[in-house]
Amino acid sequence: MEKFLQGIVWGKKQMDKFYIITSYSLRRSVWAIIGWGIPLMLLGIITIPFYDLVAENEKQLRPVLENLKPLVKSFIGGDEAEQIFTPQGFISLRYFAFLPVILGIYGSVSGSGLLAADEERGILDFVLAHPVSRGQLFWGRVFAFTISLWCIIGLGWLGLWIGVIKAGSMNFPPFQLLLPYLSVFAVTWFFACFSLALSMFMPSRSSAAMVSGIVVLAGYIITTLSKAIKGLESWAVFSPLTYYQSDAMMGFKIVLFGKLFLAALFLLFLARTGFGLRDIRVAGDGGWKLPFTRG
Amino acid sequence: MNDKDSDPAIYVNNLSKSYGSFLALRGIDLTVNRGEVFGFLGPNGAGKTTAIRCMLDLIRRDTGTVCVLGKDPHSDPVRVRELCGYLPGELRLDENISVHSILKYLRDLRGGGKNCYIRAQELAERLDLNVRSKIKNLSKGNKQKVGIISAFMHCPDLLLLDEPTSGLDPLIQQTVLEMVKESRCSGSTVFFSSHVLAEVQAVADRVAIIREGQVVEAGETSSLLSGRALRMKVVFAENTALRTHEIEALSGITLDEVSSDGRELKLIIDGGMDELIKALAGYTVDSIETERPDLEEVFLSYYGEVSARDSMGKKANG
Repeated sequence: MEKFLQGIVWGKKQMDKFYIITSYSLRRSVWAIIGWGIPLMLLGIITIPFYDLVAENEKQLRPVLENLKPLVKSFIGGDEAEQIFTPQGFISLRYFAFLPVILGIYGSVSGSGLLAADEERGILDFVLAHPVSRGQLFWGRVFAFTISLWCIIGLGWLGLWIGVIKAGSMNFPPFQLLLPYLSVFAVTWFFACFSLALSMFMPSRSSAAMVSGIVVLAGYIITTLSKAIKGLESWAVFSPLTYYQSDAMMGFKIVLFGKLFLAALFLLFLARTGFGLRDIRVAGDGGWKLPFTRG
Repeated sequence: MNDKDSDPAIYVNNLSKSYGSFLALRGIDLTVNRGEVFGFLGPNGAGKTTAIRCMLDLIRRDTGTVCVLGKDPHSDPVRVRELCGYLPGELRLDENISVHSILKYLRDLRGGGKNCYIRAQELAERLDLNVRSKIKNLSKGNKQKVGIISAFMHCPDLLLLDEPTSGLDPLIQQTVLEMVKESRCSGSTVFFSSHVLAEVQAVADRVAIIREGQVVEAGETSSLLSGRALRMKVVFAENTALRTHEIEALSGITLDEVSSDGRELKLIIDGGMDELIKALAGYTVDSIETERPDLEEVFLSYYGEVSARDSMGKKANG
């Protein structure tokens, strides 16, 4: 029992190593935070003031929207497309609707690379030869990724807030703007955990990132089209993006958030188990090759 | 000194490890005593790195027992790694940071204090490495120095060095071998794999030769060499009427080569030295040279057998 408890409860020494790994991983993520966070911030600053123009032209735009075929309309919000004329609807449809795809790709790439990238480069072999447990390395890196993701989200939120201030006809408190970002976090974290779990069981990082990326895009298409095609509704249940709330400013649903978050946690523990059981590969190990690329 | 100090530094029994259908280790047995330098010889792909990585729990064994400094690396990997310094065969490092930063990070992972970093700086000076350089700007040899420093900086009880001199210039190679000797003098055990036989011969107290995942020879370096046949070259005076059949008939003596003028003999001596000297006494001898085989010959004798067997197999199949 004592040994079991030691395994799950870390002492000061173990926590110190966890912090060392987290802070080192965070330092390595600085460029990723800048590279993803600044464009996201600019997207908010540039996109949101356009609402004033949309509001001014509502009379001309509304008939166009109403006459669109359902399939086309599904790509701009389906039945909720007309919400674009409200400030919350505009932010939801013109800003938050695309974020899970952008950050889903980021989550897929980052999650698959969290351990497997260093493993394939041969760095993990050397780091794990030092007195750190696989658990410390795993949770340290996951924690660093989570902080990086919140930094990116923070920059995005800042851009959105600046955009709202610049748009004359919008007036939201900063907290209200943060609500959809909670859902952005959940969906990005889900894809990161998904690709991390895949990278622990698939032979290479790139194959894990590829599968996860396909799920992001397929999920987006299925969730979007399910608003127009009734037959797809039963499939949309399996798409993570169905549980994403771009319209959270109009009411945040904790159940949807919880479902995504719990699924991500399950995948995270699956990844941790896989990492604990497997061999650490050295540089050049693994990888799938197509038959015609085999040397 | 605690009771565990009586355990060997490394104890490996019937260790097997496979990668898919490829059997990398086929039940190897090894015992490395505390305070010795142990050379682990074998060509690329023989299983040297796999064995070392099992000792650090980087990969999991299929069967067998591994005990490092009295501990099972699988059940207590952190403690084993705390006591070990490891230099991988193919060292890869984060490219975008400086030597100084990576050494500090590795020191922190070890929980090493200020002394650990001071020693790292001393080692960097000794190996002529600029700690302010970025890893990406370093040559292969200089990157190897970073790995060597990280393995030695905390004065570990056991050093696991996988081809430590790979990529280093001859002067630094000598320095590294000196460091290995110094570590032994200060009580550390050094397990070091290599296919550079001269360096193993220079520093190793004992060696093991691994071939196709099996240890084919293990023992003290000196006994491994002394147990081998001597080579002798005898040059006779001019116009000596040499009766080679008499020499060939001596037990333990093999006639390797006779020069065209019959004045020079090359012999392989595996016992029967006394009879040989007595037989040579009947001639006028100009000079005698003897030569002990080095580790390279011992090593090649094992691999020679394999090559010969392989080529015979190919001929039979062809």
